[in-house]
Amino acid sequence: MNKKQSMLFGLVRGAAAILIALLVTTLLIFICADTPDGASFGAAFSAKLTQTGGALRQLLIGPAFRSNGSISTKNLSDVLASMIPTIFTGLATCVMFSANQFNLGAEGGIMLGAFAGALGAIYLDLPAGILPVVCVLIAAAAVGAMMLIPAVLKAKLGVSEMVNSLMLNYVVMYLIKYLLNTHLADKSKGQVQSYPFQADAAIPQLIDNGSKLSWGFIVALVFVVLTTLFMYRTRWGYAIRMIGINQDFAMYSGMKVGGIVILSQVLGGVLAGMGGGIEMLGRYTAFSWSALPGYGWTGITVAILAGNNPAFVPFAAFFMAYLDKGCNLMSTYSGVPAQLIDIIQALIFLFFAAEQFLSRYRQHLVVRNTQEELAQKAAQAEGSVK
Amino acid sequence: MTEEYVVQMKGITKVYPNGIAANQGVDLNVRKGEIHALMGENGAGKSTLMKMLFGLEQPTSGEIWVNGEKVNLTSPTVAIAKGVGMVHQHFMLVPSLTVAENMVLGMVPKKSGLFIDSGKAIEITKEYAEKFNLHVDPTARVCDIPVGMKQKVEILKALVRGAKILILDEPTAVLTTQETTELFKELMSLKEQGYTIIFISHKLAEIMQITDRMTILRGGRSMGVYETKDESPEKISRLMVGRDVVLKVEKGKAQPGESVLRVRDLEYINEWGKKMLDKVSFDLRQGEILGIAGVEGNGQKELVDMLFHLNTPNAGSVEVNGASVLGQSQRKIREMGVSLVPEDRMLYGIADSGTIEENLISDRCGTKRLNKGPLFDMKAIHNECDQLIEDYTVLCKSGAQQVKMLSGGNIQKVVVAREFSNNPKLIIADQPTRGIDVGATEFIRRKLVELSRSGVAVLLVSADLNEVMELSDSLIVMYGGRISAYFEDTSDLSDEVMGEYMLGLKQQAPEEVGRVCHE
Repeated sequence: MNKKQSMLFGLVRGAAAILIALLVTTLLIFICADTPDGASFGAAFSAKLTQTGGALRQLLIGPAFRSNGSISTKNLSDVLASMIPTIFTGLATCVMFSANQFNLGAEGGIMLGAFAGALGAIYLDLPAGILPVVCVLIAAAAVGAMMLIPAVLKAKLGVSEMVNSLMLNYVVMYLIKYLLNTHLADKSKGQVQSYPFQADAAIPQLIDNGSKLSWGFIVALVFVVLTTLFMYRTRWGYAIRMIGINQDFAMYSGMKVGGIVILSQVLGGVLAGMGGGIEMLGRYTAFSWSALPGYGWTGITVAILAGNNPAFVPFAAFFMAYLDKGCNLMSTYSGVPAQLIDIIQALIFLFFAAEQFLSRYRQHLVVRNTQEELAQKAAQAEGSVK
Repeated sequence: MTEEYVVQMKGITKVYPNGIAANQGVDLNVRKGEIHALMGENGAGKSTLMKMLFGLEQPTSGEIWVNGEKVNLTSPTVAIAKGVGMVHQHFMLVPSLTVAENMVLGMVPKKSGLFIDSGKAIEITKEYAEKFNLHVDPTARVCDIPVGMKQKVEILKALVRGAKILILDEPTAVLTTQETTELFKELMSLKEQGYTIIFISHKLAEIMQITDRMTILRGGRSMGVYETKDESPEKISRLMVGRDVVLKVEKGKAQPGESVLRVRDLEYINEWGKKMLDKVSFDLRQGEILGIAGVEGNGQKELVDMLFHLNTPNAGSVEVNGASVLGQSQRKIREMGVSLVPEDRMLYGIADSGTIEENLISDRCGTKRLNKGPLFDMKAIHNECDQLIEDYTVLCKSGAQQVKMLSGGNIQKVVVAREFSNNPKLIIADQPTRGIDVGATEFIRRKLVELSRSGVAVLLVSADLNEVMELSDSLIVMYGGRISAYFEDTSDLSDEVMGEYMLGLKQQAPEEVGRVCHE
């Protein structure tokens, strides 16, 4: 299979996965749709049908268009804004998974990053231009340091980074909740939250329409480029990928495996932490998260959809954000339970992750391609004989 | 007359998911009660064809008939039910179970429906061993028995399951000469009892000796069926490779210089308490090829591991140009000028889903000439890799192709290209040509000689007797973790003499062995 064909196959496969997921979703929406009390079967059926149609419209085109057909800037900017944290967690996961390190700590990482950034925004006394930058750097450093725990334990003692980082998420969450409830709470407020951030700490908005689409979005895209460069154009990124493919080979080739294992996870932590800091300072004015935000889990989905290639992360993140927004709109305007989003996401994910999905079609392509090549070769050989 | 044939494969084509057409329109007809050879170079498609007959792979197109009945072999279970059994090149036995337990695996006789009836299992094993004259020890654990016996267990396993057609995949590859002779006797007796045997091999002498007919494969296509007794080895060789292969490598006399590698009193006891290396001492000099011969499992693998610090010895020293290797990182050892062509190329030699380029630069990715500041100098990398691909005649579309898409010989060329091109002072070549085609073998052997004549010290570890005797300037034989013999000059050595030392029938005096330490 040549490059063009594998790309085509990837597209067809992706489209088919989405299509099948949508068909199942349609069926589920139809089942969930309300029926007017005491309506005849025919009336109930047509009511369900209209409801399903409306719900699907919200889901599929709601995030981009208004009902009159014009482009909905607000909804679109909402979608873009919600991509900011998942781009970062997606990148973080890409780097860690590329090294075959199944570190699931991006979730706790983004919360710790947000918290560290918030502390900086509340307590640091720095000039206006520098404050948000320093806060984000603190966030990145804090989570980089946090990832040292699973990374060093893995490299030195062979402890499973998956179990470790997973548990670490909850350690981090409860630690933050404890600090927030006891020492750092703004007692003048009715809910548990920190003191407000200094006004200078806020990351400026790109569009001021309440979507919270901040300059963080641009920073995220810059980091997509930087991470891609790092992974495919530097010796360290190369070492990370080689270790991910075959650790024994990397060791035998003279790479410092332990160091690279640590580097990949710390780097993942830095990216996740940065995402947390940017999300906090770009969207909120005080820290009030009381549970894990879920961006880390979405980041894992994003990384897998992107095939661990940082360059594809923004597309995967856009897809997830669009779907999320669509489901929210659907539950708001057409009475379909919002929990459906989890089912839809799971379905799409299932088909994407299923290696064997459409493998017969792929095999068919491969066979045809190989036979063409062989025929070509035979023709060439004949030509040279003549 | 179709009844004449017990196995018929008609127009078999197999295209793997990676696009490799392993078989193209292959026909195979096997008569009842014959020993039928399936010959060809590595990558010719022999194993693929047999995997389809044993139900491990399904053909892309074509038909398979067994005993005059068209069959759809979806799994080995189906194949076994049709009377087809296979003995794999790499044994499929559970090492920690006894021979008898392995024999009845999956069809265990039960006592009161719950407990394994080991008495019955031993009885079955004995009965079959007796019947087919394949003597095994039913109560020994598989990990403790020699390779030859493991093979017998594999054959018996197939027979117990009712196989009438036996596929043997390169059965002699792991056997000593004596074991091979024994195996052939057993195969002849099976043939007399009416069993049909399909014998996969690329060793001409064996084929001439034991088979009735042969089908020759080349590049995934059948080159025809031949009666063994009517053909000459030269003709078969031509059919197999399409040209006359001369595996004589011309090499001048060695001009050994200073000692590069100095090994003294190396000892290693493995995790099961077995002494794998026992006071091994030798020197390897510049411009010399020192061969290490021996039946596999006599300490060669352990020795190589120590030299590259993939493992740590219990005692002794290893020095390269006066600096100790023990306890150093592989990076440091490489910086000392040591290169290793590893025995298991898929495990250590390559990152299989990486590109050819990525595999070629793994040992030099940090060097100045391939980097511009923090970034890779992609142009320099492309240039260097294209040059290597050309110099080492790696058959590929481009350096961006995945390594696992290449054939075994070409994968080995990638490994060798990397290991030979970083100005090594010492090359450790561990089974450098195992399982690769004749063309690549010849190429790699020539390169080794060329490098040694330019002053590189070469340590050649090989289970292929022809290879070590042909290439080495001097040679040591390992048996039971010791050096059993040292030959300063290999030109007048005979196979018989080597065999005696390899099998431990003879052992040179310490003074004679000590001559390999050039102090």
